[in-house]
Amino acid sequence: MMGRSARRFGRSGLGYVAIGLPLAMFALLAAFAPEFLSLQNIVNVNNQITALLIVALGQLLVALIGGIDISVGSVVSLTSVVIVSVNPALAVPAALALGVVVGLANGLGVSFGVHPLIMTLSSMTFLQGLALLWLAGSGGTVPAPLVFAAKTSAFGLPAAFYWCVAAIAAASVLLYFTRFGLRIFAIGGNAQSAGLSGVRAFWPSLACYVLCSLAGVVAGIYLTGRIVSGDPTMGAPFSLDSVTAIALGGVQLSGGVGSVAGAVLGTITLGLITNGMNLLGVSPFFSAALTGVLLLGAISLQRRKVIGI
Amino acid sequence: MSGVAMDEARPGWARRAAGRLLSLPIAYYGTAALLLFAAAARPNLLQPFLLLLILRQAAPLGVAVIGQSLCIRLLSLDLSFGGVALAVSYILTSGFLPFPEPVLIAICLLFGVAIGAINAFFITRLRASSVIVTLAMVLILSGVVTAFSQLRAPGDSPEMLRYIGQTRLGMLPITVIVWVVALIPMALFLRLSVFGRYVDAIGANPRAALTSGVPYVRAIYVAHIFSSLFAVLSAFLLVGFVGFGSLSIGADLALNSLAAVILGGVGFGSGKGGVLGPAVAAFMLMFTFNLLTSIGLGEPGKQMAQGAVVALAAIAYAARGQERAH
Repeated sequence: MMGRSARRFGRSGLGYVAIGLPLAMFALLAAFAPEFLSLQNIVNVNNQITALLIVALGQLLVALIGGIDISVGSVVSLTSVVIVSVNPALAVPAALALGVVVGLANGLGVSFGVHPLIMTLSSMTFLQGLALLWLAGSGGTVPAPLVFAAKTSAFGLPAAFYWCVAAIAAASVLLYFTRFGLRIFAIGGNAQSAGLSGVRAFWPSLACYVLCSLAGVVAGIYLTGRIVSGDPTMGAPFSLDSVTAIALGGVQLSGGVGSVAGAVLGTITLGLITNGMNLLGVSPFFSAALTGVLLLGAISLQRRKVIGI
Repeated sequence: MSGVAMDEARPGWARRAAGRLLSLPIAYYGTAALLLFAAAARPNLLQPFLLLLILRQAAPLGVAVIGQSLCIRLLSLDLSFGGVALAVSYILTSGFLPFPEPVLIAICLLFGVAIGAINAFFITRLRASSVIVTLAMVLILSGVVTAFSQLRAPGDSPEMLRYIGQTRLGMLPITVIVWVVALIPMALFLRLSVFGRYVDAIGANPRAALTSGVPYVRAIYVAHIFSSLFAVLSAFLLVGFVGFGSLSIGADLALNSLAAVILGGVGFGSGKGGVLGPAVAAFMLMFTFNLLTSIGLGEPGKQMAQGAVVALAAIAYAARGQERAH
């Protein structure tokens, strides 16, 4: 069921809330927090939202086919553990392989008929346990090239900026310039019609879950490089934050409606809120609570047909 | 000749018995298997004294499971238990509200009703996904409570709850008695009341129930309010058992209850499900966790087991559903 704004803006899902909220946040913060517009703070915001942006773009792919992946936060955590635990030369391939396995498990479970929330809730718990079993607390040495990749700067711009641009470019090409992207929108819009028109849901759905887990791996690699340490609970907030981000960006969780721009705007909104609360000296725990309120607000704007899970 | 035809029309008693055995909740087989395994590998765990201790550990989960199974039978889900337990523990132990114990307990119960009603409002009126709504509720409650506890740390539990949590009547811990006392009326209520019939009807086929005039929305309100109330009761038992308030209380209540309900044979949308299966499953989970601890896999092993149990049980039920559909 599409809302009025969704119909007006087509399948991008961008509406007044998705576009207006980050602008309003920006204006408010510029007015009330004098240091907000300083170059250093803008760089900080960019650093803070990069990992969330990468995860949110992965979440977007899954949401477009009408699924959801709340295990992605645990994937971020587990990636961090893998990076500091295995042979440095194998760290990145091992993490990527892990992402593929998790994505396959999620995708196969869902296509077998398990509700995506239940499937990914269970893999979220399992992977979080695995991460803690492997590495009990934060620590370990991060391979130098990863630290360099996350912290360097080029042409006066920090690495975080390039990570963001690369992630946005990859997601945009995938969604708007490939057949795969078209199929995703078709399946998300109406899986049955897509099936009757010869687009089978199985492989593209599986690919979406794998890509979402891989996004979690990439975000985990970036974040581990940034904090220069492994942390088995680092990614825990990302699962719900990424859902909040895309929901704020007008992505319909029932599938078929959403855009890369929406995911980016939603992520920026969340980043500005966290940053604003820091600048205004509000307890970070209240900002977690505010994320919850925003999540409730954002999904309440999306009316579904079914009641329940 | 006709005998063969009869056989085809009505499966033999052996097959019917096998079918009935196969449709029993996984928890029964799981518990039996675990007990056998323990008898072979860790016979110490089977001492009556320890079994009663595990039963006492399972009681808070068992109470929470009653509410969760109601939600799941109505195709909803309540993952807000952790947040509710945290808030209840804070209200009871921080001294933030300067009232006598019975008033605090009443406030907690009202709080449970309010949270359940808010959850149900978002789920039914705004048709938001119950998982997202209740997870957002956890974010809100735990964020607010953690922020507040920087001003005022949690302290000792109320005397009354400590008595309930730590005393035994003869052999039986009072906690277990509370569990049974909560369980039996609920089982009778669901079996005998009109509301119970509504739950069956909605679970079996929500669309059919809606078109035949079953008060769908009201049933979900009732289920979520019950569910939050049972979460409050479960938090009472936990706070009393632990003896003081804590910021990690009840953190895995939601996921454990989901696992127990699924293991207990209550399927999403099957409309089936008793009260006994989930209760046995709650015991089974606690027994598993104790077994894992005795093997040397602590908290992380617990989480992995929770995840694996939910995934495997959900896949098993999905498979049964597909068989039925074919």
